[in-house]
Amino acid sequence: MQSRPVLEMREISRRFGSTQALDSVSLRLYPGEVHALLGENGAGKSTLIKIMTGVHQPDSGQILLDGRSVRIGSTLEAQRLGIAAIYQEPLMYPDLNVAENIFIAHANRGLWVNWERMYRDAEAILAQLDVRLDVRQPARGLSVAAQQTVEIARALSLQARVLIMDEPTAALSAHEVDQLFTIVQRLRDQGVAILFISHRLEEVFRIADHITVFRDGQLISSAPRSDVTPEQAIRDMAGRAIEQLFPRRNTVRDQVLVQVRDLGRTGVFSGISFDVHAGEVLGFAGLVGARRTDVGLALFGIAPADSGTVIIDGQEVRITTPAQAMRHGIAYVSEDRRGLGLSLPMSIAANITLSTLRRYLTPLGLVRRNAEIATAEAYRHRLSIRAPSVEVAVGQLSGGNQQKVMLSKWLNTRPRLLILDEPTRGIDVGAKAEVHQMIDDLAAEGIAIILISSDLPEVLAMSDRVLVMREGRFMGLFNRHEATQERILAAAMGQAATLDGKS
Amino acid sequence: MTIWWQRLRPEQIRELSLVVLIGVALLIFSSQIENFLTARTFNRIAASVAIVGMVAIGQTLVVLTRNIDLSVGSIVGFTAYFVGSQLAANNAMGAPAAVLLAIAVGGGMGLVNGVIVAYGRVPAIITTLGTLAIYRMLLINYANARTVTVDSLPAWVVELSRQTLFSIGDFAVRPLMVVTLAAVVIFQLVLIYTIFGRRLYAIGSNPEAARFAGLPAQRIVLTAFTLCGALAGLAGFLFLARFGTITAVAGQGIELESVAAVVVGGVNTFGGSGTVLGAFLGAFLIDLLGQGLLRWLGISEFWRDALLGLLILLAVASDAVILGWLRRLWQARTEVNHGN
Repeated sequence: MQSRPVLEMREISRRFGSTQALDSVSLRLYPGEVHALLGENGAGKSTLIKIMTGVHQPDSGQILLDGRSVRIGSTLEAQRLGIAAIYQEPLMYPDLNVAENIFIAHANRGLWVNWERMYRDAEAILAQLDVRLDVRQPARGLSVAAQQTVEIARALSLQARVLIMDEPTAALSAHEVDQLFTIVQRLRDQGVAILFISHRLEEVFRIADHITVFRDGQLISSAPRSDVTPEQAIRDMAGRAIEQLFPRRNTVRDQVLVQVRDLGRTGVFSGISFDVHAGEVLGFAGLVGARRTDVGLALFGIAPADSGTVIIDGQEVRITTPAQAMRHGIAYVSEDRRGLGLSLPMSIAANITLSTLRRYLTPLGLVRRNAEIATAEAYRHRLSIRAPSVEVAVGQLSGGNQQKVMLSKWLNTRPRLLILDEPTRGIDVGAKAEVHQMIDDLAAEGIAIILISSDLPEVLAMSDRVLVMREGRFMGLFNRHEATQERILAAAMGQAATLDGKS
Repeated sequence: MTIWWQRLRPEQIRELSLVVLIGVALLIFSSQIENFLTARTFNRIAASVAIVGMVAIGQTLVVLTRNIDLSVGSIVGFTAYFVGSQLAANNAMGAPAAVLLAIAVGGGMGLVNGVIVAYGRVPAIITTLGTLAIYRMLLINYANARTVTVDSLPAWVVELSRQTLFSIGDFAVRPLMVVTLAAVVIFQLVLIYTIFGRRLYAIGSNPEAARFAGLPAQRIVLTAFTLCGALAGLAGFLFLARFGTITAVAGQGIELESVAAVVVGGVNTFGGSGTVLGAFLGAFLIDLLGQGLLRWLGISEFWRDALLGLLILLAVASDAVILGWLRRLWQARTEVNHGN
């Protein structure tokens, strides 16, 4: 199979200010091969992709396409050379239909749109991927997985020979990942060279033919999959050995803090019942579309429940606004840091105290900046937020550090029930371990935690009990010792009764 | 090894650069125009900046929340005429009553804007474009082609714009300017040190995050519009005091001038950043340029609007470039982890 590489990056270097983002990195992509690229955030993966797609220019080094040296001056040029990229969040035109989205980059198909031909061509491309999707349907409302399929189809329509996939599975459920992998394998068989980037090791080891690890802008290792073990890959990424299992202490207390009975929101979810003890981590597992986030949003009053009861400390409460939820000691840390969590232009300190400013007032109603900064400094220290000062704008921090600021903001409301929605999505291995440690520490302080996560090993390792949902319905509640990947997946896919044998 | 200017935040750099620009403009004009650097020029600028600056304070509050208020010109005109005619009809009315009346009328109009934007969820630009026309229509109807004249007003009103509280050399400090400067200081402090101020920034920079943080976003937007209206009402009173003669077209164009001041002053049109002080400096710079060019090149009054438009475009365009550049510089210095 080692024919000629379709794309070769030779000793590429690139510097941004004082950061050496890439340091003489070489990489070969062969047709019909899935090449996985691993590395923590900041390892240089994104920079390499941006050079491949013409967003950035290398300071030095050569790019060879079919053995010929090329210069990729813009994304348009990359497209013309047959290099396409799809990202974690697909770029869609929500008001255009599927076919239009596929052919959006085709500028010169004549003055008039030949709609029938476009629909036919779109269907042909989707058929090539073995995907069934109505090409006349607007992109708005498509699932992330479907949108990615449309993006892949767009790349195919441009005769892409190199397909870069940057964290394509981050927002997908396990089932959708399977479907995506089927498509990837199909593309590979058709001779497309695929560069696959993911934080999920199991996926990388499942799909990749070749695995390359970056760290701090340098290539650390590059070998066929059969020569690499996951432990080895992690060691290469981190430069040090990391325990794969998180140490969870037993922190569950007897006191039941929150009782939820038959909670529902019309058309979204229904019949959700559970208890959370003080000091307990209750995992919420399920595939995407399981509506776990909606339960979190209902408890936090963003999209209130319209049936069922919530009892906190033995008192029935009605929560219809976030302000009420906060008064009852509930905090919700959203997965969408940039969209829903943080005010990026504002400082770390201002973000942390935003929900709790009342505490920092002088009798005259003015904010005591010193007290505010002291609080922020305390959190910076406690969660080891890496920033030169707490007056730095949050927008300048890395994803992991933004996540910590967001956590600080909600911890500062002194919650008794903390809802964490995908707290480790898209952050690097090191920051992830820190977040896990924090969850354990918070539980030890007696805070009840609802952990919504699509990362099944994470849910299993961190939770004292795991609640499984599927399409808005309660599918089962498993104790720590009875929760296995197989059981939870089975429940999440609606096969609880047949596999479990108990219910 | 930090150089002093590297310690400044982007907003402070913006304010400083406005001061520098004002200095440069002064130098150029004073070298090109005879008798430019005189108290007369400044008194003239001060009188008009007092009005636009007051409106710009309110406009800043609104723009910070990612909205805009185009009706301020009509509010200034309406309150100036309304309060003027009340004073003309009842010469015994005292200053506090007149000022309160102006603030209340303006605030009421702002409240209407705020309710429609915050609770009716109509985009601010549409809402206030509508009320711009409606408030002007109310004024035209109410005025019925009559004019408030200087002679009909109580003497103390007209005196306000001529009185000198104290002088610095030839430069007379007049009550109108003092009122506006006081408002600038007060609202600058409000923005930095109060919950309301902080929330304005939070809502403008990320409305969804603000909702998740439990902030009463609608109420805050409503308050911003109401305050903007009230300040425009107060500016209407200043307008009355300055001109004395008020017709149905009073205050026309102030919406453009206030938006220009805010934008030139560095308030982000996408909300979330900017200061009242910046907007005031912006108003000052614009008026200085207007006066200077008027006398230097002898451009006509009609060119002023074009100048405003040009300044708005320049400010917004340069913002994107310069602020991006400043941020990179600032970022490189703080050496924050770049992510990937």
